[in-house]
Amino acid sequence: MADQLILNVIHRPELSPEYAERALGGRRDVQDESLDIFLFQQQAAHENGLKTTIQITYASLYSDAIIEIAKEHHEKYGDEIGLSLLGLPCRQFREKYKTEDFCIWMFDNDTKRAIIDDCFSLFYEKFGFYPESTGSYFLDAYTINYIKAKYPSVKCAVATCWEEGPKAYHTCNNSWYTFMDGGCWNPWIPSKVNSHIPAESEADDSGIVAIPHLSRDLMACFDGNGSNFGTHPQNVLRGMIYYRDREGTEYPYLYNLIDQYRHLGKYNDGFSYNMMFVGPGWLNKAGRWEAPYELLAKSYKDGCRYYGNLKKQGLLKDLTMSELADYYRDTHTDYKRPECALWKDILYGSNKEYFWYADPYMRCCLDFNQGGAMIDLRPYAAKIPQETGIGTENVYDASYPYLIQANYRAGYFTHYAGAGTVKSCKVTYHGRTADLCLCKTMATFRKVPEGVQIVCDPVTVSLDGLDIHIQSSFTFLEGEGKLITRREILNDLHGETVRIEEYFTAGYGKTEYQPDMTTMTLSAGTDTIQYGYKGRKVFCTEGAEKYATAFIPDICTKVQMGGIADRAEAEEGIAFSPVFHLAVTKEINEGGLETWLRLEKAN
Amino acid sequence: MAQAGKGKLNYRCPRCFMRDIDIDMFYDDSTKLYYCLRCCFTGTEEEVLALNEQIKEKYGRLRQRVISFGEDNEPPVFAPHIPGQQ
Repeated sequence: MADQLILNVIHRPELSPEYAERALGGRRDVQDESLDIFLFQQQAAHENGLKTTIQITYASLYSDAIIEIAKEHHEKYGDEIGLSLLGLPCRQFREKYKTEDFCIWMFDNDTKRAIIDDCFSLFYEKFGFYPESTGSYFLDAYTINYIKAKYPSVKCAVATCWEEGPKAYHTCNNSWYTFMDGGCWNPWIPSKVNSHIPAESEADDSGIVAIPHLSRDLMACFDGNGSNFGTHPQNVLRGMIYYRDREGTEYPYLYNLIDQYRHLGKYNDGFSYNMMFVGPGWLNKAGRWEAPYELLAKSYKDGCRYYGNLKKQGLLKDLTMSELADYYRDTHTDYKRPECALWKDILYGSNKEYFWYADPYMRCCLDFNQGGAMIDLRPYAAKIPQETGIGTENVYDASYPYLIQANYRAGYFTHYAGAGTVKSCKVTYHGRTADLCLCKTMATFRKVPEGVQIVCDPVTVSLDGLDIHIQSSFTFLEGEGKLITRREILNDLHGETVRIEEYFTAGYGKTEYQPDMTTMTLSAGTDTIQYGYKGRKVFCTEGAEKYATAFIPDICTKVQMGGIADRAEAEEGIAFSPVFHLAVTKEINEGGLETWLRLEKAN
Repeated sequence: MAQAGKGKLNYRCPRCFMRDIDIDMFYDDSTKLYYCLRCCFTGTEEEVLALNEQIKEKYGRLRQRVISFGEDNEPPVFAPHIPGQQ
C-alpha cells in the first residue's frame, strides 16, 4: 500500500444554513451568501489541486445555480456529486414534512424512508443518475440498509462524528443532541446490525464504506470538547488554538494534527486518512464568535494549502468519497483486521500517550500515562441491534454503550468512596498495595502472528522497601474479541512473594449516568449473584484456570476475565458506586501473571 | 436598561469557555459591558480579550511544530513554529 495520506475534502452547499440564518437574522441575501461560501470552498480546494466531493443538500436540489456549478466542477475538476442528508432545513422541507427536525437518524422509520426517497428521487431528476456517496452526522444501520437496498449505487457515506456525545452536549450549553460516541475514528465498513461496528464478514457487510465526519484528535477529544480538535480549521479557531504574530494568525496545531494522522500509517500497513468537511455556516461573513470572517477564510485556505503541498510532494492522494470506497475495499480485504492508533499528545505538553484499537469485536483505549490502564471499552462483539429515532428507545441518543469510560464514570480516582470504571493491575507486598494506574509509562506497537501487541516500558513499584520492576504487555487476538494482558516481573525478588491482581471495574451505559443494573448477573466458579447493590463477592478457586463472568442482558454482553491463577472473583457494587468488578489474582515470587479478557454476544 | 444585544463581535463567555462551555455573551449598551447568562461573568471587551489569552495557556504546544513523532515510546519532537510557515 502506498504510504500516502488519503484525503477526502467534502463541501456541502446549503442555501439556508442554520448558522447563517441565525447570524444574518433571516435576511433575504442568505441564499446569495451561501452560494458564495460554497464557491469559495470549491475555489480553495481547486487552487491547491484538490478534488472534492460535493454533497448536494435538499435545498440545493431546488437551485438551478448549484446544480449547474456541481455539473461544471464534476467535468472540469473531477469532483464527485454526492447527496447529503444533512442540510435538510429549508422552506420546501419544512412545508412538506411539517417539522423542525433535521437529523435523519432521529426521524421515525417511515419518515426516514420518505425523506430518503424524496432526496434520491429529486437528485435523480436533477442529475440523471443516482449518487455513489451520501451521509449525515450519523447514519444508523436501518438508514444505511434501506439506502443500500434501494439505491445500490451508494458505496460511501459519512456516518458518524467520532466521540461526539455528552461532551458536545455539555459544551453546547446542553442543547446539541448529537449523541454518537463509541464509533470508529477512521474509515470502516459498517455492520448491517449496528453502524458503529466494523462488519465481521461479507454476510455482515452493509455494502458501504463509512467515514467519520471529521478526523479528530484522539486524545484531546476524549477529554475535551470534540468540536475544537479536528481537521476542520474553524474548529481549531473555535478552540482558540492559535496565536497572533506580526505575520498574522498562526495555528501550527492544525498541521501537527494532520501530520499525526499521517503517522498512523505506521500502525495500519501504510494506510492513513484524513477528511475535511466544513459546513458553510463556519464561513459566514458575519464571522463566528470572536473569529472574524477574514480569519475563518484564511484558515480554510491554509488548510487546503497544507493538503495541496503534501500532494505536490507525493505524500497525499486526494480521492472523492466513492473513490475512497474503492480504494478502501482494495486495501482492506480482511474484515477482521483492526484499526490501530498509538496517539501522542501534540497540544498540551503532557507527554501522554494512548493506544486506540477497533475491530469487529471491541473498541478500546489504553492510557500509558496510567500504566496502560484501559480507559474506554465498547463491546462490539455484542452487536447491539440499536434502533434510533422517534418511536424507538433511542430517540436522539445513537451512542454505542461502553463498559469502561474512565471520564464519564471515573477511572482510578474517585472521591473517598466507590470505584470508577477502569481495567488495571494492583501489586501487593506486606499488606501494601500499589496500582499501576499511578505508574506513567510509554509503549511500543508491534504486529505479532496472532494480532497486534503493545508493550509498555517497564515501571517500578516500591512497596515496603522492595522494588518490583514490572513490564505490561497487551496482545489483541485478531478475530477473537480477546485481549491477553501479561504483567511480568523483571527483577529478582530474592524469594519475596507479591500478589498481582488484574482487575476490571466496569459499568454500562452511554452517558455519565448508570442505568439500573438489577438485570445483570455475576458469577465465579459455581456461584452466581443477581445484581442487587449489596457489595457481595463470589470466588473461583478450583481448577488450573480460574475465571469470572458478567452477563449484562441490557447490552447483550457477556464479559469474562480469567487466567492460570490462584483465584478469580466477581463483585457487585453498591448504590453509591454502581459498577461491577472482575479480578484474577496470583501470588508469585518470579515470572508474571497472564490473564485474558473476552467479550461475547449474549442475550 | 433596554434589552441587551450582541457586541461588534459575538464573544463567548471566557469563564464558561474555561470549563468547556461555549455560550454567547450579550452586551449591555448602558454599561458597555458584556455579560454571561449562565455564570456571573461581566466584563469589558478588553477583559474578555485578556481572558481569551489566558485560555490559551493550557495549550503548552500552541506555538510549536512537531518535527518528528520519534519512536513509539518517546514523546514527539517539537520545534518553535516559524510564523508564516506551515
